[in-house]
Amino acid sequence: MFMLDHKKIISTAMIASAIFFGTAHAGEQAIDGGAIYKVKDGMYTSYAVNTQDKKDFKYGKVPSKTEIAAWDIDVMPDGTGLPEGKGSVERGDELYEVKCGMCHGDFGSGGQGSRSTYPTLSVGSASTETLTNQRNVPDADGPKRAIGTYWPQASTLFWYIQSGMPFPHPKSLSNDDTYALVAYILSINEIEIDGETLDDEYVLDREKFLKIKMPNVDGFIPNIDGPEGPANVKKFLNDPKNYGNGTRCMKDCIDPKVNIVRIKVEINAFEPPMSVERTMKEEKVTGKVHPGQKLYEASCSVCHATDAMGAPNLGNKDAWASVLEKGIDKVYANGINGINAMPPKGGAIDLTEAQFKSAVDYMIKNSK
Amino acid sequence: MTKMTKTSEQDLDIVSEMNMAQSSRRNFFRKAAVYSASAVAATSILSPVKLSAEDDSAIIHHKKWGTTLGDPVTKNHYGIPSPYEHNNTRRTTALLASGDNYASISMCPIHEQEGIITPNGLFFNRSHGGVAHVDPKDYRLMIHGLLEKPLLLTLDELKRYPSVTRIHFIECPANGGPEWRGPQFNSIQFAKGMMSSAEWTGVLIKDLIADLGLKKEALWMLAEGCDNSEMGRTVPVEKVLDDAMIVWAQNGEALRPEQGYPVRLMLPGWEGNLQVKWLKRLEFSKEPFYAKEETAKYTVLTPSGKAIQHFYPLEVNSIITSPCPEKPWTDLKKGDLVEIQGLAWSGQGTIKHVDITFDGGVNWKEVSLKGLVLPKSWTRFSYMYRYEGKPLLLASRAVDDSGHVQPTIDQETAVVGVEAVYHRNSICTWEVTDKGVVNNVHVRS
Repeated sequence: MFMLDHKKIISTAMIASAIFFGTAHAGEQAIDGGAIYKVKDGMYTSYAVNTQDKKDFKYGKVPSKTEIAAWDIDVMPDGTGLPEGKGSVERGDELYEVKCGMCHGDFGSGGQGSRSTYPTLSVGSASTETLTNQRNVPDADGPKRAIGTYWPQASTLFWYIQSGMPFPHPKSLSNDDTYALVAYILSINEIEIDGETLDDEYVLDREKFLKIKMPNVDGFIPNIDGPEGPANVKKFLNDPKNYGNGTRCMKDCIDPKVNIVRIKVEINAFEPPMSVERTMKEEKVTGKVHPGQKLYEASCSVCHATDAMGAPNLGNKDAWASVLEKGIDKVYANGINGINAMPPKGGAIDLTEAQFKSAVDYMIKNSK
Repeated sequence: MTKMTKTSEQDLDIVSEMNMAQSSRRNFFRKAAVYSASAVAATSILSPVKLSAEDDSAIIHHKKWGTTLGDPVTKNHYGIPSPYEHNNTRRTTALLASGDNYASISMCPIHEQEGIITPNGLFFNRSHGGVAHVDPKDYRLMIHGLLEKPLLLTLDELKRYPSVTRIHFIECPANGGPEWRGPQFNSIQFAKGMMSSAEWTGVLIKDLIADLGLKKEALWMLAEGCDNSEMGRTVPVEKVLDDAMIVWAQNGEALRPEQGYPVRLMLPGWEGNLQVKWLKRLEFSKEPFYAKEETAKYTVLTPSGKAIQHFYPLEVNSIITSPCPEKPWTDLKKGDLVEIQGLAWSGQGTIKHVDITFDGGVNWKEVSLKGLVLPKSWTRFSYMYRYEGKPLLLASRAVDDSGHVQPTIDQETAVVGVEAVYHRNSICTWEVTDKGVVNNVHVRS
């Protein structure tokens, strides 16, 4: 009797696992919790496959050490790839004002107005306590995901700033400038290094950088570090209880009096507007392209397409009229030297004066 | 001359030919007669004596395209869609832009999508620093790190490797992400259009690195793009040695710039952002890289305060594409037979079943799959329905061959809450009103 039950239990368990991993290779688990497919009899699922040997190719060359070094600039949590250099919080603050604030807001508070979707860098605290917040009741506060409260590793910050920022002109920051910006961003997030507060005079260098411990370093699952990292991911993703799975119920599955939630405030500002009509499009009258248009789109629109940090936006007659009160020469000069949040030439230092003026002319022409 | 029949026109032609040799004066009069007859014929030649109101003028009258020459073959050496199809287009909304239109997304018009291949110009477009335009002559792919032999390839060299061609969808894990806390878009294009599908051609990475001596301790591979954002992600070597590809073609032609021309990574079934575009570098390593788009973003924050990282696959999913808010049933009459159809997909396997419900999920019935049923691919489903003009709560639910079942909203949010942003694959319900209008709703118990 016991044997029989035992067998029953085993066979039930086997059926369950066969259903769950019911693929061509039962029992074998893919790292993503999904099915695994193999080439069998010249077929890979429904695809026919050439099964001849595919080895011993001689194409390409071995990259030189210099070539690898030129591209291998990622920075890993253990410091691999982190260059030498140093920068103070104060220097970072200056750089931030000129190169970052127009999008990320004062003290990293995020984009304002029409650019409110630009990322917030700091919520003024490194506390992770809001991360359990859920907006599942009206007026509830959501979790605050900024660098200090969310990012697990500071290496990401150095790597990303140097390779991807400033947004319109990435890969333009020196190692020292990047250290300074990292120091400033950590300071506005109220992150301490080795028990030390990052005040204006604080100078960040490689040695100190390696001591940074981000507050949310343990906030992520599964654990991907070390030799068991991929195995941990596999185990996690092979259990759909970790991320939600349905049930294949066919009859009387839920209470027939279902609760229907409708759209409260519909979002339908689409470009182009929604239509399924099949009518001929009205021809647009296309004039000559202004020589400054391309320059504007490449270098100026990031701020001037909207009113970022007080930048007069393209098409805003009032804003441009008031700018032009000073006279066109003053407008050129201010732009070339920088004004308010705008760095010299808007950060597009490669533009010649003539090109810069042409872009300004384009904006003015389209804002009358 | 008032009523010219086809026969009389032909007669005139013959007469005209027979008299070719005759005097130019007589010829002139005869030709003139033919021309004036043709002019009348153009409008009335096929007309019966009397037009009735039921007769379709689209049939009765000759159309411009039938009575004039079309375009010469020299026009549009690269073809473009009919100008009448201009509304079948990608669309954007400011809500889904990261401040501007560079780190942003455009949505695929899946309500107009037929079959399982998205035309290249309609493929959804997501980039983190604008669409890069890479000169193929200066394109290089570097493969280095924990290998016996690092490798640098030009585009031509890369394309010498043996290729495979596979059909796979690509989906942004934020697809449907604006609707965790309730429906927002009365549009399938915006509710579910962060995905598209294509036939991709390239080399399996396991074939590409077979000669390079991958070291045993290599567990991860960084894939990095050469665009403005230098977008990078860490990929486990296990996937690299399974079905990962480096692709250079999309639906039979070179990748579009929006899809990473000249070369992108293809990780079948996994998050769109992992399929790194404008791919420049693969680095094999012992430890993961902690790139920005796998820490700050694309992590799923759960109610415990812990966030799921390295959440690669798009889970089993489906949506009814006809009807949908853009393609309602307002033109149907009671008793009409109509096809309900939609798309099902899973990044974790092959679609096995699709069920649909008419009552918001109380009762379900299995429907047919149709067309190709391929792993990690869009799969069409179909059901013939007798329209009754009564209100419905219409939804679909997909099951894949790895045992995953598309969850209800309640089932999904019970585990991951409403702040996840990414990986929302719960059941989508259309409310069909008695007038045939279709609205995006959420069904909660």
